[in-house]
Amino acid sequence: MKLVYLGALIVGAYFLFPLYVLVLLAFNEPSSTLLAKYPSLLPLSLTLNNLKASLQGSEFLDPFMKSLETATLVGLVTILLAVPAGYGLSRLPRSISYPFLVLLLVTNMMPAIVIGIPIAVEFIKLHLFESVIGLALAQTLVTLPIATFIIQGTFSSIPVDLENQARIDGAGLFRRLFSILLPLAAPGIAAAFLISWMFSWDEFTYAILLIPFHSTLPVTIYLDVTRGNLLAGVAFSLIFTLPVIVLTFALQKYLRGEYLAGGIKG
Amino acid sequence: MKWTPFLLVLPAVAYITIFSFFPTIDAVYLSFLDPHGGLSLKNYQELGYFNVEGAILDTILVTVGALVIQLALGFLVASVLSREFFGRRALSTITIIPMGIATVVAAVTFSFIFQTSGGYANTVLHSLFNVNVNWYQSPVSSLLVVMLADSWKNTPIVSLILLAGLSSIPKELYYSAAIDGAGPIRRFIHITLPNLRSFIGVALILRGVQEFNIFALPLILIGDHPPLLTTLVYNLYTTTFPEVGLALAAATVLLGFILVFMGVVIKLTGGGSQ
Repeated sequence: MKLVYLGALIVGAYFLFPLYVLVLLAFNEPSSTLLAKYPSLLPLSLTLNNLKASLQGSEFLDPFMKSLETATLVGLVTILLAVPAGYGLSRLPRSISYPFLVLLLVTNMMPAIVIGIPIAVEFIKLHLFESVIGLALAQTLVTLPIATFIIQGTFSSIPVDLENQARIDGAGLFRRLFSILLPLAAPGIAAAFLISWMFSWDEFTYAILLIPFHSTLPVTIYLDVTRGNLLAGVAFSLIFTLPVIVLTFALQKYLRGEYLAGGIKG
Repeated sequence: MKWTPFLLVLPAVAYITIFSFFPTIDAVYLSFLDPHGGLSLKNYQELGYFNVEGAILDTILVTVGALVIQLALGFLVASVLSREFFGRRALSTITIIPMGIATVVAAVTFSFIFQTSGGYANTVLHSLFNVNVNWYQSPVSSLLVVMLADSWKNTPIVSLILLAGLSSIPKELYYSAAIDGAGPIRRFIHITLPNLRSFIGVALILRGVQEFNIFALPLILIGDHPPLLTTLVYNLYTTTFPEVGLALAAATVLLGFILVFMGVVIKLTGGGSQ
């Protein structure tokens, strides 16, 4: 039984250490972090100057807003497409819905960098290059299959009898959707929206290919770090991470292996 | 009425097809075009000048290495979490955090951990063994840094899948094996592994395909020294834009590897079916 605690300790330290380092870098004087030959593992020289300087000094608001706009747009487009698709799939026989789900998941496996270049070339012609809308359209590719899958599962768990009852009472599809199905499926739809939002918030490959010059936060962090603007990179990383950690806790019960495994096993 | 579900599914499927399949086919087709619009292998021949063999080898090395690390750690995490002990819930929350951390942030953090001067890994090594390691001295150790950073971010999803698998194995199997005198290692090999086959397969497909595609991590941690297929594609794309043929040829090679990998894993794990 002691062995479990040893394992737990190793596992816990492994997952927390990099985060601890990020916090050290963000809140310590550079002299005891970036500039030290052997940076201290203890918080020795706490300061808020790094964050202040980074947020004032370089462009922060524009990339932040772009990330926010893109993620929200991706969430909305995804839900708009995934709710009907998820409902449709949940009402089809398994032998038909399964190939559709596999098709959606397989597209998720296509390399973004392979898809991204032809899309970038097209977008230049269509004046969608360097635009939030263009980026959101591409990033929806990443989120749509997952969202459809989650929403499909949610609708499947609603008894068909409930719907049939309403149908007998004369309720049409839209009536059934809005008065019965959507309220019951709301938690699943919310989860799908948040997961889409989160994935888009993180997305890097499409962002750097489709909106390379005045981009979203991940690309800004990359550029800051490669140009030696390290403290800004650290500060933005921390700010970038906080909302996602909050969301991860909120979504913890949806992030389960059974769902993922079930999706592929069918 | 029977057609309504199909009509509802149609927009999503059309979206995916238009934005994913067509560009992919387009990419493969364009990679075989020469500048005059004729079909040729010119782009592929030119890839030789850009160390495409090295990039292929590195990509395979990173993929295999990262998968081995993630499976090993995933088993450790899953077997710890499959037991009841004080603090289990807190630990399961901790193990899920990296999943939500942006890849870019993970890359930045690990670049500070593995700096040659001023790195936290060296702080630890220095205080324990009085040594200082240059992590970027050789291609293999550079790639190891990439694998470790990637594994930190992605072990959670592997552990979640393996944990789901472990909890699906009936406890009676272990009891009767223990009565027959099988030790922990034999129980692992003869009960755990065979029963987890399809779960391991799912984890391998899910992670393996992404592993071939890792891009932000190597770009931030090692740039293109040594290059992976993805960083090579990006590099060729930005330097030769709008001549995209060369980048697309490298991208097509990457796509080929992913398709082969999926085929192999599906075959080895019995198609992920029961």
